[in-house]
Amino acid sequence: MSAEQQSLDGLEEEARRALAEVTTLPALADVRARFLGKKSALSGVLRGIGRLEGADRARVGEQANLVKERIEALVSARRDELGRGERERALSETRLDVTLPGLRAPRGGLHPITRIERDVVAFFTGLGFGVEEGPEVETQWHNFEALNMPPDHPARDMQATFFVDGGHVLRTHTSPVQIRTMSGRTPPFRFIAPGRVYRCDRSPRHSPMFHQVECFMVDENVSFADLKGILYAFQRHMMGADVELRFRSSYFPFTEPSAELDYRCLICRGAGCATCSQSGWIEAGGCGMIHPVVLEHCGIDPERWQGFAFGMTLDRAAMLRWGIPNIHLLFDGDVRVLEQI
Amino acid sequence: MRVPLRWLAEWIALPDEAELLARLTQGGLEVEEVLRVGPDLSGVRVGHVLTCDKHPQADRLSLCRVDLGEAEPASIVCGAPNVAAGQKVAVASPGARLPDGRKLQKAKIRGVTSHGMICSAAELGLAEQADGILVLDAAAPVGAPLDSVLAVGERVVDLTLTPNRGDCASLLGVAREVRAHFGGDIEIPPTEAPEQGPSAAADLRVEIADPAGCRRYVARLVRGVRIGPSPGWLQQRLEAAGMRPVDVVVDVTNLVMLEFGQPLHAFDAGTLRGGVVRVRRALPGEKLTTLDGETRTLEPDDLLIADAERAIALAGVMGGAETQVTERTRDVLLESAHFDATRVRRTARRLGLHSEASYRFERQIDAAGVRRACDRAARLLSELTDASVTPGVLEATGDEADAEPVIALDPERVNRLLGTALSRAEIAALLARVEVRVADALASPLRCRVPSWRNDLRHAEDLVEEVARIHGFDEIPATLPRQRLAPVVVARSRRVSEAARDALAAAGLFECMTLPFARPADLDRMGLTADDVRRRLVRLQNPLTEDEGALRTFLLPSLLDVIQANRARQVERIRIFEVGRTFHPRAEGELPDERLALAAAITQGGERLWDMRAPVFFELKGALEQVLEAVGVTAEFVPGGGEPFWHPTSSAHIDVAGRPVGTLGELHPEVAVRFEIDVPCALLSLDLDELAAAKAAAHRFEEPSRQPQVRRDLAVLLPRDAAAGRVLHAIRSTAGPHLVEAAVFDHYEGPGIPEGRVSVAFRLVFQRPDRTLTDAEVTRASERVVAMLADRFRGELRHGGGVAGG
Ligand SMILES: [Zn+2]
Repeated sequence: MSAEQQSLDGLEEEARRALAEVTTLPALADVRARFLGKKSALSGVLRGIGRLEGADRARVGEQANLVKERIEALVSARRDELGRGERERALSETRLDVTLPGLRAPRGGLHPITRIERDVVAFFTGLGFGVEEGPEVETQWHNFEALNMPPDHPARDMQATFFVDGGHVLRTHTSPVQIRTMSGRTPPFRFIAPGRVYRCDRSPRHSPMFHQVECFMVDENVSFADLKGILYAFQRHMMGADVELRFRSSYFPFTEPSAELDYRCLICRGAGCATCSQSGWIEAGGCGMIHPVVLEHCGIDPERWQGFAFGMTLDRAAMLRWGIPNIHLLFDGDVRVLEQI
Repeated sequence: MRVPLRWLAEWIALPDEAELLARLTQGGLEVEEVLRVGPDLSGVRVGHVLTCDKHPQADRLSLCRVDLGEAEPASIVCGAPNVAAGQKVAVASPGARLPDGRKLQKAKIRGVTSHGMICSAAELGLAEQADGILVLDAAAPVGAPLDSVLAVGERVVDLTLTPNRGDCASLLGVAREVRAHFGGDIEIPPTEAPEQGPSAAADLRVEIADPAGCRRYVARLVRGVRIGPSPGWLQQRLEAAGMRPVDVVVDVTNLVMLEFGQPLHAFDAGTLRGGVVRVRRALPGEKLTTLDGETRTLEPDDLLIADAERAIALAGVMGGAETQVTERTRDVLLESAHFDATRVRRTARRLGLHSEASYRFERQIDAAGVRRACDRAARLLSELTDASVTPGVLEATGDEADAEPVIALDPERVNRLLGTALSRAEIAALLARVEVRVADALASPLRCRVPSWRNDLRHAEDLVEEVARIHGFDEIPATLPRQRLAPVVVARSRRVSEAARDALAAAGLFECMTLPFARPADLDRMGLTADDVRRRLVRLQNPLTEDEGALRTFLLPSLLDVIQANRARQVERIRIFEVGRTFHPRAEGELPDERLALAAAITQGGERLWDMRAPVFFELKGALEQVLEAVGVTAEFVPGGGEPFWHPTSSAHIDVAGRPVGTLGELHPEVAVRFEIDVPCALLSLDLDELAAAKAAAHRFEEPSRQPQVRRDLAVLLPRDAAAGRVLHAIRSTAGPHLVEAAVFDHYEGPGIPEGRVSVAFRLVFQRPDRTLTDAEVTRASERVVAMLADRFRGELRHGGGVAGG
């Protein structure tokens, strides 16, 4: 038995003992280097093979590789053992208090009126209505005269008006968008016009600024019955349920016939409560068939064309949806209010 | 218009109250509320006296057992001599409140407990005094509320009238509506005046010198009027209708106005000069002292009543002080006229004199009812004051309009507008209910004669509305329209503002909305220079408050107010934005330029998620970057916001494709103090119209590479004023085609870094789409970058200049 043979026999046993003593992965790496590294005895033997004669070379070489494989297997087995041990230790050492609150990205949100407006816009664009906007500072022609309210008309008293430089007004309703949209175009058409409107009035129930959506449609045969059909579908969309509607005869200079639309109070189901001022009904907006004078002002022949217009206030709808008791809460930027929407 | 229901019931039989109110409301006379006028007897019920015995302890008291419809009769002590078994009486139980405010309680009277009180008419507020208890009709149902069996108090319906229905500002008008809905006959109170003595024409005549302003003028002379308070029934009527009793003459004119809707005026006939009453325009500079004691300077457009010498009344608006009826008045001239609605309205508006009379004239009155109202008032005065009505009516007419116009109505048009299928006969029948007469229901078109009081019915569409109203809007079917499809086009500015809103909400900001008014003082507080274009305001002529005298030219002051208010409410962390219009004057007569603007703000403080050390500015900038990404544009941030309200060295302006679209920055500390903001904050101001005008960058898809990435981190010492954003931009254009990512991952100045320098660490990621990059390729690219940094930015690598790989 050669010297090489002897040292090889001892190596495996020596490595087995050394590995048994090892308790950490870095120490394991050291042991591996000692037995299998470039400077190890085994590497020395393998390097020396070249110098051996024929039969010895084959035998020693075969043996050395066998020992190397066995030590590798021992190291690998020990590494698995140690790794499992460390993972188990880590498992027992780390612990989360899962009842701590989650870390969240800051939450933002859209204004309630934006959200209601989008609901309205989604419904009408779904039916193929275009979306139009107009200026908030309007000419008296567009805000009044073209809508069949000549200068001394008593209906002007219904709309407390802000006047601005140059004889213009802050629009008191979104109806002037009808005039801007229809003038110079040929029917048929269907549009909605959401936007801000202004009245010279500040009281617990009124803000000088609020929001309306105007909806109108003109064709050869669009009737009040069609207006009713659209409004039933619209209220169902907004309320998420079938609602009972009531059409109340009313007066707007720019529609004839005119009606106010009410829906049955969903809170008291008509019995009367604070939300509906004990009436059992909640006002949803005004509507009617566009007055022939308005069509004429837009250059549209009222003998051939007819249509409906409907206008609603978004602020009130938002207040009802989120139970906001006071319109002024919508416009003072109180973060504690906005966070709840 | 306040309508006492029992008064209305004298004109026409009324249906059940709930039904009446519902139909009036749906028919367009909206019931605002139902008021109670008179004593409130809601706690008093009808009782049946079962037994009536002497009180054991007191001779003059009785002990009664009274059935109130409950399980057990109540035992009640009563002191009235007229109480007797078998009577129906009014019982106030413990807890009930009597009209004098007293709340009834159980009481021990001479050792016997009394469970309530049997009331006298005086105790119920129904009479001044009473000798004993009130004995009710034997048929009164036991337990019923007293006000259901006794006419106590009055229920008054408050109707909101639309401007077209001036005809309903009277009992007669409301009665006509009731008839239209429910049918029945209207009973009109007697109007014939018993005439006595010599004719009025001997002393007086009336003239209309302004025929366009007065269609008809009627006057009656009533002699020997005794001025004093009017009788109780008249006063109660007026009070129930919401009017204050004055004296018999004023009260009679008001009563007749409420009955017929015709305003009347009474002159002291003894004060009239020259035997003539004339309707004319005011003379330039003419003056009149009105009833309220004010001397008013008149304008030629004002419609006047004058005698031979002077103005005596503003027609339809207010009488003159010199000719008013006083205690010394003996003879009264009653005026009833039809004045032009627009003229009355202008005068009332200019002088701020709105009255029950001007209200009715402005909405046009019934020209055919002028004479009747005058007769009715004369009759009442003779009845109530023993005055004598002088024979003959003084009368003059101006421009006559067609009192009962005829409108042609095509039945087809009715059905086409309403979507109904009504026959001609049905349409004619519906119109007949509002007294629009169709001569021949077979004729085409239908020829419809409008009654004199319906001044609002002038077009065929007005009649269509009457058909719908009386038929009932609820009877019209609900259908969906048929129309050709057309694509919906939404303007880019709207899509951009909606995308911006979504991006900011997703970035953790809350949208707020504020009023668009500008406080001029805010322009100073923001530090704007005298020539700043934002000082050119669109001004309101009738602002609600001085602070709201103009429209805003930018949104930031509103947002600062919101921050301040929230801080005052102890909100720690404020992240808000607003989208709104700003208003900028243009040439005289033109509408202002309205621009859609966006402003956003984030304040320092409170819990924040990412790097607590980084200034809040970067949080806001990150939110803005999300907006820009959503809109599809890339922006360049140029140091220096160039605004007086920004921190001069911590602000930037935002360029998109070389055009400025806004600025952002930390708030200047001086401005913060002026707005009382106690926390650092960053704000953003963006012109959304400008942003929408910028072309969105074309988005091109790139297939992800399957080749390995190579990363190089460069820690570079840069001069403090070398803008990292620009350096990054330079790196991107220097590092060659295989640079796929370049980012700043550390930014540090302080101990260990030389004075005036800042350490910025850049991460460069290289990758080829076709094959693995060689080490040499990456090193060459990195070295090009290092050389460029040294050359253009005086940058030097830290840590001995190695190019770290990974
Ligand atoms: Zn309700």
